[in-house]
Amino acid sequence: MSSKPQALSSIGPMRAFASNSKKISTELIEINDDLIEFNKYLTEYYKQLADTWSVAQKKTNLKVPDVPQDVEQIEAFKRIWIDIFDNDYTELFDSEKFGENYGKLVSKELELTKHWNNITNVILQSVNLPSKEEIDEVYKEMHALKKRVSKLELELKKQEAKRNAK
Amino acid sequence: MQSESHIDPKIVEEILKFSKNVINAPKLVSAPDEISLEVTPHDVVQEIDKTRLLHYRPLTERQHKTPLLISYALINRYHILDIQPEKSWVRNLLSQGFDVYMLDWGTPTSMDKYLDFDDYVNGYLDASVEHIKNESSAEKISLQGYCTGGTIATTYAALHPESVKNYIATAPVIDGWRDTTVISNLAKHMDVDKMVDTIGNMPPEFMYYCFSVLKPFEQGIEKYVKFFKNIDNKQFVDNFLRVEKWLGDTPPIPGELFKQWIKDIYQNNLLIQNKMYVGGEHIDLKKIDMPIFTQIAVGDHLVSPECSMPLHYAVGSEDKTLRMYPTGHVGMIASSLSQKKVLPELGKWLAERS
Repeated sequence: MSSKPQALSSIGPMRAFASNSKKISTELIEINDDLIEFNKYLTEYYKQLADTWSVAQKKTNLKVPDVPQDVEQIEAFKRIWIDIFDNDYTELFDSEKFGENYGKLVSKELELTKHWNNITNVILQSVNLPSKEEIDEVYKEMHALKKRVSKLELELKKQEAKRNAK
Repeated sequence: MQSESHIDPKIVEEILKFSKNVINAPKLVSAPDEISLEVTPHDVVQEIDKTRLLHYRPLTERQHKTPLLISYALINRYHILDIQPEKSWVRNLLSQGFDVYMLDWGTPTSMDKYLDFDDYVNGYLDASVEHIKNESSAEKISLQGYCTGGTIATTYAALHPESVKNYIATAPVIDGWRDTTVISNLAKHMDVDKMVDTIGNMPPEFMYYCFSVLKPFEQGIEKYVKFFKNIDNKQFVDNFLRVEKWLGDTPPIPGELFKQWIKDIYQNNLLIQNKMYVGGEHIDLKKIDMPIFTQIAVGDHLVSPECSMPLHYAVGSEDKTLRMYPTGHVGMIASSLSQKKVLPELGKWLAERS
């Protein structure tokens, strides 16, 4: 008797959503863990940028100790400033420490995206819409079919060319 | 105590002039969608999926027998090779009597995420070559590959040497481990499997990031200062906006293609070691036995000379030429230097073999 009211809504979105809602809370907990890691790499990323700025600015100050007084001096100062900053930042972006941290930062960002995808999938499934994985499967199948069709078309062309040659 | 402060009136004048130029800019320049990057007249002779094969209309009465197909890069679009009449790579070759085709890779969408190297090399590029051979009745064609289009064209030339009469490699991405650019450093640390599994195609925004870290102050500040200073110079503004529009328009890169490119070229460096496979077929650079002309820009900060040059030494060709130019990645193909030096040398070399 008590299960009947629930059964009435068994094809509605709320029942499907409720049965998968645990998955959402798991994802949210994992997002929280990943956010901590993400912020760690993001802080390091901005630290590297800020440290490089500070060193480059010191180098510029050493090279141009006086305040520029005329247009020519401003132009010369700007050239020195750009060259020093471009060189220092290129050196940073080229370095192992930047590459490694940036790689980890992007990786964590992708994990956050993945959790978001998983949460969206729960919502999509509750309204009987295909998940990202299901759509990807269709794309994969279409790609394989297209490839097969192209190969068959090529084979037909070759056979036709052979027939015409005879 | 008396403090003496002196400001050159010219500085104030310059600041006022610059501010006026910034305010007037919206009235003087065209909106990006008002600028057409399609310069030289052409016909679309074949369309497969999102790719288009363009055939440029001739500018000379007589043409060289062997047609030339250009395989443009995967980043940004082919328009840079025809950005404006005075700096057009395509127009210059047409005026030297070459029959020029261009492969436009188009704009991949989410459903194209499984397109891989095999689809690009043995699918789109091969179909274009076959179409040109049929249309021109030539047994072989000349092929030019630029940047990442050079990676694709190189693998094509190794797999289908029977179709390629001459190969021109322009700043090709070949030896990822020798590449000293920022791009290669970012690529080496990328978890490309996770990236493609999660987001599918490589989004343009990520490309913008990678390019914005190259010479960030010259490109991010000085370039725009120069633009506002020259706002009254119509030719400068037109050229600037064309290049900006081209820079801002990069299509996504299909996920599987991007994955193989990053892994096989930058992370594992398989191509130059003759260990790369495309569509199950082994790529042996020694099989590139046709005449080859390698063009390298000494100041290239996108594909370093060390990354491109090894191709010259790795191929099996006996007739091979290596040329280095004192310019950058884009300067080699769209500048007055390219018109005065790079293209005449290429035209001479190609005419002798076409």
